[in-house]
Amino acid sequence: MRTEDGKAQAPAPAPPDGRPARPGESNGAEQLPPAPAAPPAGAPRRRKMGHADFSSRGEPILWTLGGGLALGVILITGFLVMVFWNGLVTFYPGPIEVVTLKDGKLVAGEPARSEVFRPGPEVLRTLDEAARRAVAASGGYVSRTLYRIGNYDLYNEDFRWVPEFEVREVRTPPDMFFIERLEWGSFVGRIKALKRDGQVLEAGKFGLGNLRGEHAEARARWQRVRRIERTEIGEVNHYLEKERLAVRRAALAHGEGSAQHREAQAASAPRTEALKKRHAGLSAQAKAVKEVDEKVHLVLADAAGREKEIRLSEVVRFYPANSLGWGDKAGVYFSRWWEFLTEEPREANTEGGVLPAIFGTAAMTILMALAVAPFGVVTALYLREYARQGRLVSIVRISVNNLAGVPSIVYGVFGLGFFAYIVGATIDQLFYSERLPSPTFGTGGLLWSSLTLALLTVPVVIVATEEALSAVPRSAREGSLACGASKWQTIRRIVLPQAMPGIMTGLILAMARGAGEVAPLMLVGVVKLAPELPIDGFFPFIHLERSFMHLGFHIYDVGFQSRNSEAGKPMVFVTTLLLIGLIAVMNAWAICVRNRLKRKLSAGHF
Amino acid sequence: MAAAAPGLGLEMEETVYHVKEGAEGANLELENFCLWYGKAQALHGIGMKVQKGIVTALIGPSGCGKSTLLRSINRMNDLIDGLSVRGSIRLDGKDINAPGVDVIKLRKRMGMVFQKPNPFPMSVFENVAYPLRVDGVRDRRMLADACERALGEAALWEEVKDRLQENALGLSGGQQQRLCIARAIASDPDVLLMDEPCSALDPIATARIEELIARLRGHFTIVIVTHNMQQAARVSDNTAFMYLGRLIEYGGTNEIFVNPRLPRTSDYITGRFG
Ligand SMILES: Nc1ncnc2c1ncn2[C@@H]1O[C@H](COP(=O)(O)OP(=O)(O)O)[C@@H](O)[C@H]1O
Ligand SMILES: [Mg+2]
Repeated sequence: MRTEDGKAQAPAPAPPDGRPARPGESNGAEQLPPAPAAPPAGAPRRRKMGHADFSSRGEPILWTLGGGLALGVILITGFLVMVFWNGLVTFYPGPIEVVTLKDGKLVAGEPARSEVFRPGPEVLRTLDEAARRAVAASGGYVSRTLYRIGNYDLYNEDFRWVPEFEVREVRTPPDMFFIERLEWGSFVGRIKALKRDGQVLEAGKFGLGNLRGEHAEARARWQRVRRIERTEIGEVNHYLEKERLAVRRAALAHGEGSAQHREAQAASAPRTEALKKRHAGLSAQAKAVKEVDEKVHLVLADAAGREKEIRLSEVVRFYPANSLGWGDKAGVYFSRWWEFLTEEPREANTEGGVLPAIFGTAAMTILMALAVAPFGVVTALYLREYARQGRLVSIVRISVNNLAGVPSIVYGVFGLGFFAYIVGATIDQLFYSERLPSPTFGTGGLLWSSLTLALLTVPVVIVATEEALSAVPRSAREGSLACGASKWQTIRRIVLPQAMPGIMTGLILAMARGAGEVAPLMLVGVVKLAPELPIDGFFPFIHLERSFMHLGFHIYDVGFQSRNSEAGKPMVFVTTLLLIGLIAVMNAWAICVRNRLKRKLSAGHF
Repeated sequence: MAAAAPGLGLEMEETVYHVKEGAEGANLELENFCLWYGKAQALHGIGMKVQKGIVTALIGPSGCGKSTLLRSINRMNDLIDGLSVRGSIRLDGKDINAPGVDVIKLRKRMGMVFQKPNPFPMSVFENVAYPLRVDGVRDRRMLADACERALGEAALWEEVKDRLQENALGLSGGQQQRLCIARAIASDPDVLLMDEPCSALDPIATARIEELIARLRGHFTIVIVTHNMQQAARVSDNTAFMYLGRLIEYGGTNEIFVNPRLPRTSDYITGRFG
């Protein structure tokens, strides 16, 4: 019996439910394990089995194990499918429906989703007889649709629920436009007219092509203004600040009003003057472009005819939602993705792109990996190769393992208290005293975030490295030592290269953990909106002290901190998709590197 | 030079020497060498002189301390915790366990070949160049010359000269072992220690290694541990028979095999125990 059990269980987790019930078989025979390898007509091998033997055959435990696995797989798949689906459809342009309500009002918008709800008695009381009967007929339930109505500046809301019983008529007129703007979110309505230099062109008198051309020009003007104001004036400001700091440094070093201070002032004065002149020139340029821009306006009207006039350059994108072909829709879809990936956020992060957040996440993760790799590997090397294996080392090892279980926010507090307030403040005192009281390193920033996360993930690297080191065969070490290599040479040339795949595995795990960590970062440098990227064209090019944006925090911010969480919801999924994608890409890259190493180490055959 | 370790239930006998002391220049001299792994004594008063340029085989049943003895000669046992030794091993007259001895320099004078081929996961070239590299040699020419010479001496050059940059793990087992021999002799050591170098190889590869040992004879002082009586008889000049941590009989291979003095030696050689 035992051997039969063994055979039956060896090809394990085949769910027993696949076995058809055979009528007429005895109870005991039915309980036989579902040996998939055995032929179905293996009648002679079946033996009668008592109930006491049921658990001894291990089937219940198999059910539990398999069930646990299945549940996990279903949860993960469900989660991924949800994120992918929501993330992928968000940017797809939907139609605009114009709903005429029973009271004659008009609601126009992109339907976001529908649901069934049960209206309360106070709502039912307001309905007419026919509607009430219809509601009663469907058991008191009514369906309602959430419309993305836009026009926040006109209505003070972005979304509106429309219950079925209020609807008289739904149309999709082809002249409805979906217009994304720089401010106030999107606009849903018709284009009435284009105003240019005081001339008014009525909507019927120009084609969509003309409008597109005008729009492209307006956008180019806007881009130009932005470039002047951001990049060029930003550069002038940078140099002005440098001049100011130089004078301040002289004052701090030699005293206010000292000869050196006055000398520095005198030296800086002409340069400052020239910079100010350049500043004025650039401002004038920007103003000139803005004046041209000021003369081109678009007159919009919502479904009910309420007009709204905006500068054409404020329009990011517009499309006639109900008369789009497949190609146009795809165009809108991809242009939205492109904007999302390459632009900065606007409208309290609910619109625009997430480039700074992508950048911040990647930069932080890479810096963290750079910090954690040597730190963890050196620690593990010492623990495994040099330290005398005894009580003390065991205690250290246990402590390191326990570090992995400390809540991450604790690391954030530590990072803030130690890195920013102690180390950073000291650095500021010593090297950036001219900027005080505004802190440079004395507050959260990219560097402190990376180091905090490096601390958080270092146990993972240490444990993985120790395991990898101990897996290097003794024969390799002895071979090297017998060649007259010192211990360090053996470690560097033989042990470390062979342990590298294992170390990389640890690093990958650490990176995956670190890239997704948000809580501690909120304390040590992540912000809602970072005006400057941590990398720019000014020396030293990488500004480790700057605060930065992070996709994980962006998700939290967009989803729960924005003025309208309904508006942020789609962005939550898109950003989540992106975060998962980014981590997947970074891990895939690291895994590729590891596998290349592995192949190099195990090309052998005997 | 008596092996004296009372209380082990083994009737005390002195090592029987056929080798005439001082007949040729002794390269390695062991004198009353004892070794303990923690409290367990593994070697009992080993005394033997190994002559320069000849092949000495260490034979004896499993666990009798052959590897331990071999590894004591280049102090590979240093890695083991709780190890203690007594007596002396002298290389060219200098005690290798003396306080001021640089163990790395010592190992550079000795090559070692292990039971299982253990080439490093690097190119063939880098494997052979390894002892020179760790010695600080950077010059490509020198490395290449040493590599060609060592591979030539190890009878591997013809087979691998076109694949020097390929991973050494891609070679066959026998080639790998010859590569390890090439690595062991690349820095031109005085002594070559081999611990059952053929036990993981097939008969053809074994035959090639034996040929190789015969060719290397005269260039290096070779000490080889083997389980294979025929192999010991074929390749060695002198043979030392060990039993339970003691050196039982030591002499010219012919004499030991043809004319062993002690019954235990003849029993082992004829395969009556072991
Ligand atoms: N690292 C070690 N620690 C403790 N005992 C050891 C160690 N290595 C070998 N021994 C013991 O020393 C004795 C001799 O071993 P060894 O030299 O490997 O024998 P051989 O090579 O002749 O088969 C054996 O009893 C073995 O158990
Ligand atoms: Mg052995």
